[in-house]
Amino acid sequence: MKSTKVLFTCILIFVFSIVSMSVMAADKAPVVIGLQAPITGAAAVEGEMAKQSVEIAAQMINEKGGILGGRMIEIRIADDACQPKAGALAAMKLISQKDIVAAIQSYGSSVTQPGSDIYEKFKKVNIAYGATVTGLTERGLKYFFRTCGRTDTQGAFFANEVLPLFNAKKVAIMHDNQTFSLGLAEDTKTALQPKIDSGEVELVYFDAITPGESDYTVPLTKLRETNPDIFYFTGYFPEAGLIIRQARDIGITAVFVGGDAAINEDFINIAGLEYAAGCYQTQEALIEYFNHPEAMAFKAAYKEKYNTLPSSPWSVYAADALCVLAEAIDKSGSTDSDDIANYLRNEMEEFPSITGPIGFDEIGDRVGTGINLYVVNADGSFGIYGK
Amino acid sequence: MKIILEQLLNGLTIGSFYALIALGYSMVYGVMKLINFAHGDLFALGSYLGYTLLVFGSTYVTATLGIWGGMIAAILIAAIGIGIAGTLIERIAYRPIYSVGRLPAVVSALGASIVIQNGIMVVWGARPQAYPSQVVPSVMLNIGGIKITLLQIIILLISFMLMGLLYYIVQKTTFGAAIRACALDRSTAALMGINIETIIFFIFALGPALGGMAGVMVGMYYRKISFIMGWNYGLKAFTATILGGIGNIPGAMLGGLLLGVLEMMGSAYLSTAYKDVFVFLVLILVLIFRPTGLLGEKVAEKV
Repeated sequence: MKSTKVLFTCILIFVFSIVSMSVMAADKAPVVIGLQAPITGAAAVEGEMAKQSVEIAAQMINEKGGILGGRMIEIRIADDACQPKAGALAAMKLISQKDIVAAIQSYGSSVTQPGSDIYEKFKKVNIAYGATVTGLTERGLKYFFRTCGRTDTQGAFFANEVLPLFNAKKVAIMHDNQTFSLGLAEDTKTALQPKIDSGEVELVYFDAITPGESDYTVPLTKLRETNPDIFYFTGYFPEAGLIIRQARDIGITAVFVGGDAAINEDFINIAGLEYAAGCYQTQEALIEYFNHPEAMAFKAAYKEKYNTLPSSPWSVYAADALCVLAEAIDKSGSTDSDDIANYLRNEMEEFPSITGPIGFDEIGDRVGTGINLYVVNADGSFGIYGK
Repeated sequence: MKIILEQLLNGLTIGSFYALIALGYSMVYGVMKLINFAHGDLFALGSYLGYTLLVFGSTYVTATLGIWGGMIAAILIAAIGIGIAGTLIERIAYRPIYSVGRLPAVVSALGASIVIQNGIMVVWGARPQAYPSQVVPSVMLNIGGIKITLLQIIILLISFMLMGLLYYIVQKTTFGAAIRACALDRSTAALMGINIETIIFFIFALGPALGGMAGVMVGMYYRKISFIMGWNYGLKAFTATILGGIGNIPGAMLGGLLLGVLEMMGSAYLSTAYKDVFVFLVLILVLIFRPTGLLGEKVAEKV
């Protein structure tokens, strides 16, 4: 009995030494980048697309020979289920893996916020791809960046560009009380304020719904009574799909505009095409409208593997985040967090990435992202309004 | 006035969903003294079963049975499927650990809930699905200025029929008497010649079957279904069970309907954000003055 144990131990040691030798023998260890995304939970579809997009981007970089003279990029995923608490845990999980160089995190603003505090504490560069709440970059963080835009530009776009298009006087804004949605609603209100003061526009409705439910007829009935010209919903697509249907059913005829998380393919599925057609959305640039070489290469690779394109801009921003990280690590020649952060902040200018040229300002915001008004066409496709 | 009536009808519709799900909690608790936390997810599974039938058999089903026949077929198939799933869960997750007490079974129930929820995600995917519009009847009625869909009326009718049927079975038949006897005292009931195994089987088939039917109707009514929907509805239905008196079948029906109406009124006349606060405030008040719930009987403390 004892001898079997000894033999077994010997075999174990032998196997382990072979494995560790082979690891050492691989002369160039991969550069590991963490991806924190909602793989499960309510926004799982966004997490899935982010994972696919980042993997495509990694594949594209690796096919060109990797970075730092031939080191491959490896993606390691942590699931944050789109919940703030799970976001903090996912961040800890990534940081506790010592070989992780930097992280891409995450889709929701309320999830990204606690995560970014943890990355900051442990000095890891982290790039958000869907967290657009204005305040996130204004907390003086040194290692936090984002490749997506900010809600205040979107709010201003709605107030100054969208309203005149429809000649709208009475505005209803509905949000879901979560960080992103409330942020966009508040930013829009701020942007509207001058017009409200001058009496040009009237804000007739400003209230929240509870996300995750199925029946919104009550708040919508209240909204109907205020008789708005335009109805801006700043929440997410699962609720947006229900809301547009229930709103039209109880007789709300106002122009429906969704925020940048409200409208995608699933919105059309849930609402039904007869309700979805003619809805508008203030949205960051969608990948299908890009034609420069980086975007074309990404689209081709993505289509080849998944036979479709990402239906929201966020997952492409995640792929962007990987591209800028790879560039920063490669050009600064270092995997040290301070070097990467320094390169991103001070030296990267108009780096040609998938969604166009990328540079970062002092506080880590991306310089220049374009927002457009998209419309759902009668056949279920998206188009830029007026083009 | 018109708006109040509309809200009341909406509240009753959502309340009848809660009531159907609450019945499953209440029946299982009555006999087993176990809170079946997997019940909400069985409801979601029912919704997905109905969805699958309607999507993949849509042309065949609606061609042979018509749109309403398709709806009834989906409800029936979901009921049978979820009834089987319920008894399976009892076999796998609860029966092996009855002997060690009630607390482990509750933990096992939570485990079963997670397994079903993620199972749905693996099979049907993480994206929310939608019942296709061509299989959902959409007739809008206008009764004296009140807008209501025909589907809403049918849902209310089916729910009340099911509740009436269950009430009849439990209160008026010999088999129902056996169920009630088990709920009162299981070992004495066994001594009186009642087959406990059959009763448990029946409870775990019928409770989830009602939930599964509610699942299909929720899918029809709101069209959007997602794999996490079971949690929300389960929680609300469980609250309804407590409100009406756990273990009491008319109590679960009353609790569900009341909760639906309270929710609607709470969000109509208070803020939508405080709707749940209002609902739970009512629950707390009820529990202070009637700790066993609205229709719950006083149970003598066993010393």
